[in-house]
Amino acid sequence: MAELAHDPYAENALDIMFPPPEGGHGGHGHHESTGIDNRKLGMWVFLSSEFLFFGALITNYLLFKGRDFGADALYPVELYDIPFTSISSFVLLMSSLTMVLAHSSLARGDQEQTRVWLMATATLGLVFISGQFFEFTEFVNQGLKLNVNPAASAFYMLTGFHGAHVVIGVLMLLSLWGFSIRRGGLSEDHGMNLELVGLYWHFVDIVWIALFVIVYLIR
Amino acid sequence: MTTEIAHDEHHVRHPEPKDYVKIAVVLAVLTVMEVSLYYIEVNVEGIGQRITVPLLLILSGLKFVIVVGWFMHLRFEKSFLAKFFSVGAVLALVLYFIALAALGAVHFFG
Amino acid sequence: MATTTTPSPVVTTSIFRRPMSTAGFWSWVTTADHKRIGILYGYTAFVFFLLGGIEALLLRIQLAGPDGAFLSAAEYNSLFTTHAVTMIFLFVMPVSAAFFNYLLPLMIGARDVAYPRMNAVSFWIFLFGGIFIYSSLIFGTSPAPVGGNLPGGGTDASFLGSIPNGGWFMYAPNSGLEFSPGTSLDYAAVGLQILGAASLISAVNFIVTIFNMRAKGMRLLRMPVFVWMTLVVAFLLLFSLPIIAIALFMLTFDRQFGTLFFVASQGGDPILWQHLFWLFGHPEVYILILPAMGIVSEVLPVFSRKPLFGYPAIVFAGAAIAFLGFGVWAHHMFASGIPTVAQAAFGLSTMTIAIPTGIKIFNWMGTMWGGRIQLKTPMLFSIGFVSLFVIGGLSGVTHSIVPSDWQQTDTYYIVAHFHYVLFGGSIFGLFSGLYYWFPKLTGRMYNERLGKTHFWLMFIGMNLTFGPMHWLGLQGMVRRTWVYSADAGLGPWNLVATIGAFIIALSVLVFMSNWAYSKRRGPISPPDPWDARTLEWSLPSPTPEWNFGKEPVVHSLDDFWHLKYEPVEGGRVRRRDNADELVAELMDLHANPEEEIHLPAPSYFPFIVGLGVFIVAYGIIYHTRPWGIPMIVLGMLLAVGSFMGWGTEPLEEIHEEHDDDPGHDDHATAPASDLAGVDD
Repeated sequence: MAELAHDPYAENALDIMFPPPEGGHGGHGHHESTGIDNRKLGMWVFLSSEFLFFGALITNYLLFKGRDFGADALYPVELYDIPFTSISSFVLLMSSLTMVLAHSSLARGDQEQTRVWLMATATLGLVFISGQFFEFTEFVNQGLKLNVNPAASAFYMLTGFHGAHVVIGVLMLLSLWGFSIRRGGLSEDHGMNLELVGLYWHFVDIVWIALFVIVYLIR
Repeated sequence: MTTEIAHDEHHVRHPEPKDYVKIAVVLAVLTVMEVSLYYIEVNVEGIGQRITVPLLLILSGLKFVIVVGWFMHLRFEKSFLAKFFSVGAVLALVLYFIALAALGAVHFFG
Repeated sequence: MATTTTPSPVVTTSIFRRPMSTAGFWSWVTTADHKRIGILYGYTAFVFFLLGGIEALLLRIQLAGPDGAFLSAAEYNSLFTTHAVTMIFLFVMPVSAAFFNYLLPLMIGARDVAYPRMNAVSFWIFLFGGIFIYSSLIFGTSPAPVGGNLPGGGTDASFLGSIPNGGWFMYAPNSGLEFSPGTSLDYAAVGLQILGAASLISAVNFIVTIFNMRAKGMRLLRMPVFVWMTLVVAFLLLFSLPIIAIALFMLTFDRQFGTLFFVASQGGDPILWQHLFWLFGHPEVYILILPAMGIVSEVLPVFSRKPLFGYPAIVFAGAAIAFLGFGVWAHHMFASGIPTVAQAAFGLSTMTIAIPTGIKIFNWMGTMWGGRIQLKTPMLFSIGFVSLFVIGGLSGVTHSIVPSDWQQTDTYYIVAHFHYVLFGGSIFGLFSGLYYWFPKLTGRMYNERLGKTHFWLMFIGMNLTFGPMHWLGLQGMVRRTWVYSADAGLGPWNLVATIGAFIIALSVLVFMSNWAYSKRRGPISPPDPWDARTLEWSLPSPTPEWNFGKEPVVHSLDDFWHLKYEPVEGGRVRRRDNADELVAELMDLHANPEEEIHLPAPSYFPFIVGLGVFIVAYGIIYHTRPWGIPMIVLGMLLAVGSFMGWGTEPLEEIHEEHDDDPGHDDHATAPASDLAGVDD
C-alpha cells in the first residue's frame, strides 16, 4: 500500500477528495453501496439467520421423534391427521399468493385492493392458526401433552414457534391494514414496509413448507 | 409452464398478478403430489420411505425455490441477496446435519 | 461556529412530544447518535468489568492457599459462573460494541449506522439485561436440590449464592429444575436470552451499515481491517445467536413449563444441550477475539510507521477464522462421549484454524519488521496482544489433539489457555484501542507515563496469574472446585496467581485514574496526534456530532494517509510539503459544514422498548405468581407499543429511522433557533 500506481492527491487534493456532486444534489440521502434498500437488505439478513433458528428446532424434533421412551409412550406421529394438516398447509400457501397480490396492487397504486389482499392474507393466517390450535387441542385430549415425553415437547416447540411467527406476521399485516385505513393508503415509504412484511410472511410460509414434509409426511 | 413465466420476467420486469396465480397453482399441484406420495407410501407395498423421502424432499425443495424466487422476488433482485440468504440456509443444513450425526440420530430410513 | 444541524422537526402525531435536546441527562436517554451509544456501551461495560474483576479477586482469595474457607462451595460456584458471564457478555462483547458503534461510521465515511434507533434499542436491552442478571443478587434463590444438599453441605445458599451458579455454559442436567431449583439459573437463562437479542439486532445493523453506507470509492477491500473484523463478527453473531436462543428457550421451557428436552431420566438428552450451546459457544469466542485483532491491525501500522503487511491476507484470514470457527464446536466435548469419528473430525478441523491465525500473526510481525517502532501505550498493548495471544493460541492447539485434551479438560490448563487468549488477547487489544482512540473521543491526550505503568503492571500481573495455571493444570488441579487439599503441593503457585490478580487490579486503578483525569484535564490533543492512516483521524477531536462536514470520496486503502504522504521511489512515501495545510483545511471543512445536515432525531422509544423487555423478563420467571402474567403483558405492550410508535411517526421521522437523511421532507429547513430551549 505504500506504492500506489499513481498519486490521487498530487494536485488539488481537497477537490479530489470532495468532488462536486453529480446532478447538483447536495449530499441528500445516502446512496446504498449495494444498490439494495437498507431496510430490504436488513430483512433478508435477518431472515437468513432464521434458518439457524428453525434449524435448531427441527434438529431437536428429528433427534427425539423416534427415540424409545418406553412401551407406553405416545408419539406425535401416531396422532397426525394428514388430511387436516394438508388443508392447513394449503391455506398457508395460498396466503403467500394473497400477500404477493397485495404487493402487486400497491405497486399499481390501488390502495383499496391492497387492503383487500392484506386482510385476506391476515385472514388466511388466522385460519391457519385456528387449525393449529384445534390440532393441538385434539392432541392434548388424546394424551399428547407438552411434558409427556421429549418427542412431544419437541413437536410442540417446533410447531409452536412457527405458529408464534405466524401470529406476529398477522399482527404486522393488520397493522399495515389499519395504517392504510387511517391514512387513506400506504405511501411509498410504507410500501417498503409492506414489502418487508411480505418477505417475512413468505419466509414463515417456506418454513412450513419444510415442516409439513419433515414433521408430518416423513414418518 | 414455469419457463414461460421466466421468459415473461425477462421482458416484463415484474410478474403480473395472473402470473402469480399460475405460480400458486403450481405450488398447489406440488403439494397434492407430496400428499399423494405419503398415501402411496402408506398403502402400497414395496414403495417405502427409501423412495418417497427423497422425492418428498425434492418436491418441497421445489416449492421452497419457487416461493423464494418468485414470491419473495429473489430471482429479480441483485444476486447479492441470494448469496447472502443462501449462506444461512447452507450453514444450517451442514451444521445441524453434523450435530445430528454426532448425536447418533442420522440413520437412513430405519 | 455556524452549525447547521437540525434535529428532526417537532411535528409529531404521537402522544408524547418528540425529545429535542442534545445536552443533559435526557439527551443521553433518548440519543440515537452512534457515538453516544458507543460511549454508553463503553462506560456500562466498564462497570461490569469492575464487577467481574471483583468476582475474580474473591475467587483468587479463596484459592490463595489450600483448604480455603473464605467462600463456601456454593458461593464459589456462583462467583465463577457470574465472573464468566459478566466478562464475556457484559464486558468484552459490549466494549467491542462500544468500539464498533463509535468507529464504524467514521471509518467508512458515514454519518450514522443504518438503523440509528434500533442501535439505541440494542444498548438499552443490553443495559437492562445486565441489570436483570445482577438483580438475582437480591431476588434470586438457589436452595439445595430437593432431598439433597448444596455442594459442600448446607441447604440454604447465602446472599452471594443466589446469582447464576451453573457455570456460564449451564450444562444439563445440572441446569435443570431437579438439581438447580430456585431462580438463579432462570435469571441466567432469561438474562442471556435478552442479551442475545440485543446483539442480534446490532449484527443486522452493522452488516447493513457496512455493505450499504460506505463513502463513495470505499470498496470492500479498501476498508480498514477493523471494519472487516466488525463485519465478520456481525456474521458470527447473526448465525450463532439463533442457536443459543433456541437452547435457552429449551432450558427455560424445561424449567418453567415442564418440557423434557434435557431431563435424562425422562429420555431427554443433556448432550443435545452441549451441542447447541457450543454451536453458539465456539463462534462466540471468535466474536470475543476478532474485534481486538481488528484494533491491533489498526494500531501496529501507525506505531510502526509502516503499512499493514499483507492486508488482503489479514482480511481473508479473519473471514476464514470465522468460517472455520463454525466447524469446531465439538472440541469442547471431547470428554463427553461423542463418537470417535466425530472426535477425530473435530480435532482435525480445530487444527486447521491455526493456519489463518498464524497468517495474521506473521503479518503483524511483518508489519513491525523494519518499521520505526514507537513504544507508546497503544503500541505496548498491541505488541502485548500479539505475544500473549500466541501463547494462548499454542495451548489451544494442544487441546486439538484429542488424547492430550482428555488430560487437559477440566483442569487449570484450560483456564490458562482461555485467559491468555481472552485477557492477553481480547483485553489487551481493547486497552490498546482505548488508549489509541482516547484523543479522538475526548480531544485530549492521556498521561503516557501512567499508561505505560498500567501496561507493565497488567502485563506482569496477568502472566503471574495465568502462567502458573498451565503447570497447575498439568499437575492435576481441577477446575470449578472451591478447594484443593494441602498435600497436592498446589499451594505456592496458587498464591503467586492470587498476587498476580491483585497486581492486575492495581493496574486497572492506574488506568481509571489516568482516564478520569486526562478526560478533563489532560493536555489538549491535536486531531491527528498519531499521524494515522484511517478516516476517523481526518475529523476534528472530539468528533463533531455530524461526523463528516462533507462526505469524502475515497481513492485507496488508508486514504487519509495518502492525502498526507505522496509515493516516491522504491515503494516509500514522503510527507507532502503542504500536508499540514491540507489537514488543517480538511479539519475546517469537517468542523464547519456548509450544507444542511439532517441527523437522526432523539427518541424515547428505544429506552421504553428496553424497559418493556426488562419487565417481560421478570414476568417470565415469576409467571406462576399472580402478578407474573400481568407483568409479561405490560412489558409486551410497552415494547410492542413503542415499536408501533416509532414506526408510525410522521414520514420525516421514519426516514430518520431508516435513513439518516429525511431527503424530501418539507420541514427540514426549520432553523435551529426555533428548537432551542424546546426540551431542555
